Amino acid sequence: MIIGTPKEIAADEKRVAMTPDSALQLQKLGYECIIQAGAGDNAGFPDTAYSAVGVKVLKTARDLWKSSDIITKVRPPEAKEVNNLAKGKLLISFFYPAQNPDQMALIAKNNANVIAMDMVPRFSRAQKMDALSSMANIAGYRSVIEAGNNFGRFFTGQITAAGKVPPAKVLIIGAGVAGLAAIGTATSLGAITYAFDVRPEVAEQIESMGAEFVYLDFEETSQDGAETGGYASPSSPEFREKQLAKFRELAPEVDIVITTALIPGRDAPKLWLADMVSTMKPGSVIVDLAAERGGNCELTAPDQKIISDNGVTVIGYTDFPSRMAAQSSTLYATNIRHMMTDLTPDKDGQVVHNMEDDVIRGATVTHAGAITFPPPAPKVQAIAAKTKEKVKEQTPEEVRAEEVAAFKRATKNQVGLLAIGGALMLSVGAYAPASFMQHFIVFVLSVFVGFQVIWNVSHSLHTPLMAVTNAISSIIILGAILQIGSPSIIVTLLAAVSVFFAGINIFGGFLVTRRMLAMFQKS
Amino acid sequence: MGLGFTTAVYVIAAVLFILSLGGLSGQESAKRAVWFGIFGMALAVLATIVGPGAGLWQLTVALIAAGGVIGYLLASKVEMTQMPELVAGMHALVGLAAVFVGFNAHFELVNILGMSTETKAGLEGFAALLAKKSAIEINILRVEASLGIWIGAVTFTGSVIAYGKLSGKVTSTATKLPGGHILNATAAISSLACLFWYLNSGELLPLTILTLLALFIGCHLIMGIGGADMPVVVSMLNSYSGWAAAAIGFSLGNDLLIVVGALVGSSGAILSYIMCKAMNRSFISVILGGFGGAAGPQMEVEGEQIAIDADGVAAALQDADSVVIIPGYGMAVAQAQQNVAELTRRLRAKGKTIRFAIHPVAGRLPGHMNVLLAEAKVPYDIVLEMDEINDDFPETDVAIVIGSNDIVNPAAQEDPNSPIAGMPVLECWKAKQVFVSKRGQGTGYSGIENPLFFKENTRMFYGDAKASLDQLLTLISNN
Repeated sequence: MIIGTPKEIAADEKRVAMTPDSALQLQKLGYECIIQAGAGDNAGFPDTAYSAVGVKVLKTARDLWKSSDIITKVRPPEAKEVNNLAKGKLLISFFYPAQNPDQMALIAKNNANVIAMDMVPRFSRAQKMDALSSMANIAGYRSVIEAGNNFGRFFTGQITAAGKVPPAKVLIIGAGVAGLAAIGTATSLGAITYAFDVRPEVAEQIESMGAEFVYLDFEETSQDGAETGGYASPSSPEFREKQLAKFRELAPEVDIVITTALIPGRDAPKLWLADMVSTMKPGSVIVDLAAERGGNCELTAPDQKIISDNGVTVIGYTDFPSRMAAQSSTLYATNIRHMMTDLTPDKDGQVVHNMEDDVIRGATVTHAGAITFPPPAPKVQAIAAKTKEKVKEQTPEEVRAEEVAAFKRATKNQVGLLAIGGALMLSVGAYAPASFMQHFIVFVLSVFVGFQVIWNVSHSLHTPLMAVTNAISSIIILGAILQIGSPSIIVTLLAAVSVFFAGINIFGGFLVTRRMLAMFQKS
Repeated sequence: MGLGFTTAVYVIAAVLFILSLGGLSGQESAKRAVWFGIFGMALAVLATIVGPGAGLWQLTVALIAAGGVIGYLLASKVEMTQMPELVAGMHALVGLAAVFVGFNAHFELVNILGMSTETKAGLEGFAALLAKKSAIEINILRVEASLGIWIGAVTFTGSVIAYGKLSGKVTSTATKLPGGHILNATAAISSLACLFWYLNSGELLPLTILTLLALFIGCHLIMGIGGADMPVVVSMLNSYSGWAAAAIGFSLGNDLLIVVGALVGSSGAILSYIMCKAMNRSFISVILGGFGGAAGPQMEVEGEQIAIDADGVAAALQDADSVVIIPGYGMAVAQAQQNVAELTRRLRAKGKTIRFAIHPVAGRLPGHMNVLLAEAKVPYDIVLEMDEINDDFPETDVAIVIGSNDIVNPAAQEDPNSPIAGMPVLECWKAKQVFVSKRGQGTGYSGIENPLFFKENTRMFYGDAKASLDQLLTLISNN
């Protein structure tokens, strides 16, 4: 089958869904690749680079749509593109099916198939096709770079001959993929970074990236990200008030604010209000990554950079990935290539649209003339739900009662064992002569000492323990030495053999133990 | 020198032995501890040779020296992977020595009972001790000697069979003669009958029969235990050799023998207990051999085993931050520990976290894996126990299973009907990716299907562990 990639027709879209590298991999899967002339120009991939790896370059979009069986694209198709999508063809691109119901219906009517890259479910196996994450990663990085570009000072604090420079303070709201990427970039540039998220479980991730988690003191059944596929869900009004109060407190301090808060299927929540902007220092920068969905900041104007009355720059660009077209095209093309790998189980250049597969099913929005959106819940849970068993709080009395009971039980066991042991001892003593009892005491005490000592031996030393006990069990040699001088020949003979064997054991056992122990080294 | 002096030296030796075992609580103190043991042994042997009752000291010293040379050669030549065989083999020597010493006690007793009162007065050492005994004491002595002989004989044949199984000279599957445990029970009861016969008659014949029966029991008992239970068997035999020494100590009236015998005996018993607990098996069921009957049909294993080549594993390792390696008997068989260590060094040099997870019954000897890894110079502080690491698997990027099977079998937790249900296992399947290095598609020692191999995040890296790791090392560069 033929995979084709047209030039993106949306204004300012610089990305391309196929790179020379990914084309090479797709050819290995048995596909033929074609591309529209100039499609990769803006991303830094000239037509010559494509033809060098055997990709056919077609002049017009019309030819391309006509001759490809599978079309890979970045942006959702526009009306005229949808018309080009003839029966049986497969389109793979971002699609946002919830926002595009009309187009979806039209495509389904035309009997064409669509796999939406934005609908790839979020679980481990699908990560390699998760284009949203790849793009969010780039957006997060770029947002910090963009902020730095508009911020008139250093990120890192310096003490120079010309005076002291304080470090920039960066606040990142929403620690999803984009947020975490932004944290990483900001901290590596040397800024003091704070981050906030409504999901308390990401605190660890935030701290692992080197930022400080802005802790909100709020008693509420905390949101479990696992239930919503790792995304945040709307919060209660009380929580929101508390959150805004915290932001108001931080606003005068921070120099750069990067907001990435999005809730699936809703407009972006307004988190950075006009009054907060007004308390910020002049020259500060706000980058709103949620601008496409209305923005987290009240002042945000999508696709624009505005400057507020008090000199705060608010950046509402929606095309961060496109601003790094080379990088984002590479990652996106790789995501698509992975999707194709899953769609081509036999590597024979034939698509097997397996609707039983959770990933393929989840991403498919139209198939065989029917709309298949929204998909059913995947068979595999998105993220292993942590079953936090709440340990019931015990009252001090209960704890005490339990301790007492445990103590009583232990005492009872011990006393019982002692009584049985004592009774056995006494019954032995009643019949055995005193000379035997003398040795018996030694025996019992030794067993006791042995038990006490051996429990402390560490697990990793069990083999040396066996070797050393083996060596010292050749103490039997003492018996043989005592008998070897006997007048009876047979006794001397047997004793001599025993001494010999025990001799082997003593030297062998200890030497082996030494060899083993010498090997244990600390790093 | 007098008896008092010898006894004093024995006390010192006993204390040294206890310290030597106690010192094994940590790696560093263990290096000192083994010297305590050596010193204690040297003191005890010297004191006995120069003390009262010993004769022919030139012969004794010559024999010890000769045995020492052989022991030295054996111990310095042995590969660390052959350690289980060596330990089992050496138990056999102790068992046999105990049998001989026990028989000697019998011969001496017969000699002395035949002597007149005047000659008895002229005796010294062990013989003098015997001569003074009353009728009851003589009977007790006979019980002690027969007990020593019996345990010694079981230890001897048991260890020989264990040696054979571990070195692959005897089939490692559980085999029993027709009649099975009834045969063992009959032999044990007959032994008891022989003991009474011997007590009444004092003759050599019943003692010989008793010995033969014990030799049979030792052989048949260990033959009936499968290869996977070998760690328990070896530590059990270790325990037996101790009890044999203690019994002989009673019959000779030698306290040091009793002390050391009891120490070794209890040590082996505790080790066996720990091993059994790690496998969630009762001691009895291990001794009786074979796995207990399954309570119902086992869960069907669905899916297929997906293979991967060295390139795939190498790529995953390059991407991973934290890796846990789970070695098993397969690593020992393939002698792959050096390659594992080299892989560990290279990955650590790249700044990745590499750790080892050791199941208590991995290998064929308690602590087997630790010794192999230590030999390959893997630092011991990255080698962790099951309990220490099990909770960390969900945060682990790659788990590599090298030649282990049952100890990573999820069926132990998921399938109540599995023969190993309830056995604690390493939960490696919770890692993001699992690679299993394995010879082929066969099942492990216990013959149970392992659902781990069919899991979605598991990839099978087929081939001999050493060859596979060689391939991997060529792909993961040194810098």
